[in-house]
Amino acid sequence: MKVLIVDDSKIARMGVIKSLKEVHPNAELIQATNGLEAVEFYKQERPDVVFLDLTMPVMDGYEALKRIREIDKDAQVIVVSADIQSEAKLRVLVAGAKNMYPKPINVDIMVQIFEHDLLL
Amino acid sequence: MNLQFNEDQLDALREFMNVSIGAATASMASLLDAFGTMHIPKIDICNSNELGAKIQESIDMRSMYFVSKQLFTGKFGGECMFVISEDSSMNLGRYLYGIENPSFDEINDAVIELTNILTSTIVSRLTEELSTQVQFFVPSLQFLDSASIVDEEDVVEYSKIIIISTILDFKDQQIVGNIYILTKDEAIESLKVLIDKKIEEIYG
Repeated sequence: MKVLIVDDSKIARMGVIKSLKEVHPNAELIQATNGLEAVEFYKQERPDVVFLDLTMPVMDGYEALKRIREIDKDAQVIVVSADIQSEAKLRVLVAGAKNMYPKPINVDIMVQIFEHDLLL
Repeated sequence: MNLQFNEDQLDALREFMNVSIGAATASMASLLDAFGTMHIPKIDICNSNELGAKIQESIDMRSMYFVSKQLFTGKFGGECMFVISEDSSMNLGRYLYGIENPSFDEINDAVIELTNILTSTIVSRLTEELSTQVQFFVPSLQFLDSASIVDEEDVVEYSKIIIISTILDFKDQQIVGNIYILTKDEAIESLKVLIDKKIEEIYG
C-alpha cells in the first residue's frame, strides 16, 4: 500500500507515520511538504491513501484536495488538521475527503480510519 | 546560554503553535458563529530592543489598538499578547451585541471576553502539547497607539525574546487580530528542553 503524507511540518508528518507504522508496518511512504507537491506526487505515484494537512504554504490543503479529486475522483483523502472548526470539516467533506481528524492523530484513530473511512 | 533553535525545534514549535491556534480559532468561531481562516504561525527570535519594531511590522501604524496581555509562569513561562485594531474591535462589539454602535465599555467587554478565550485556549493547548502546566495571571487590557504597544521598560532586562505570532482572521466579519507569545531567556531554555523531549517521543 502506498501512502502520501502531506504536511509542511516534519514533526507532524512523523506523527502520522508513527501511528501508520503501527497499523500498516509495510506501507510505502511518500512525503510532501505543501499542496502543490502533493498534487504532483499524486499524479506520478497514484497513492492508495493521502493524509492531507490544510494550512500549508505554496498551496493549501483545500486547493490540493480539489485538484487531487480532479485527477482521480476516487482518491482516498483523509484530512488531518489543527483547524477544528465544524465548517472546515464540512468544506473538506463536501470537497470529497473521506473524513477529517484533529491533530495529532494516534494509533486508535489510525485504526478507525482504516476500518471505517477508507475503501481499500 | 544558547538561545538559538535548530530546524527540528523550530518546526516542532511551529506545529505545536498551529494546533493551539486551531483550538483558539474554533473557540472564537463558536463565539462568533462564523468561520475563521487559519494562518501559518511565524517564529522570530530577536533582541529585546527590537521587539517594538518587530510587532510594528505586522500592524497598521495609523490605527489605535486594544492590547491585552496575560502573563503565565511555570516551566514554560511568558506573556500572551492579543492586539486588535479599533475597527476590528468595533466590528467585534457590533457582532457580539447585535447593535450598530456599541459603546467603548461594551467594546472593552467584548475584547476582554475574546482575549480570555484566546489566551487561555492557546497557552493551555500549547502547554498540553509540551506536556507541562502553567499558572495564569489576570490579564490586562489597554487602548494604545501602535508605537506604545511595547513598553520598553518591561523587556529591557531580557537579552533575547522569542515571538510566536499569527493572525486571527474572520474575513466576513472584518475581525482581524494579531497574537504574540513572548518568552524570554531562561524560559527559552526550558522551552527547548520540552520541545526536545516531544521530538524524542515522536521521532523515537
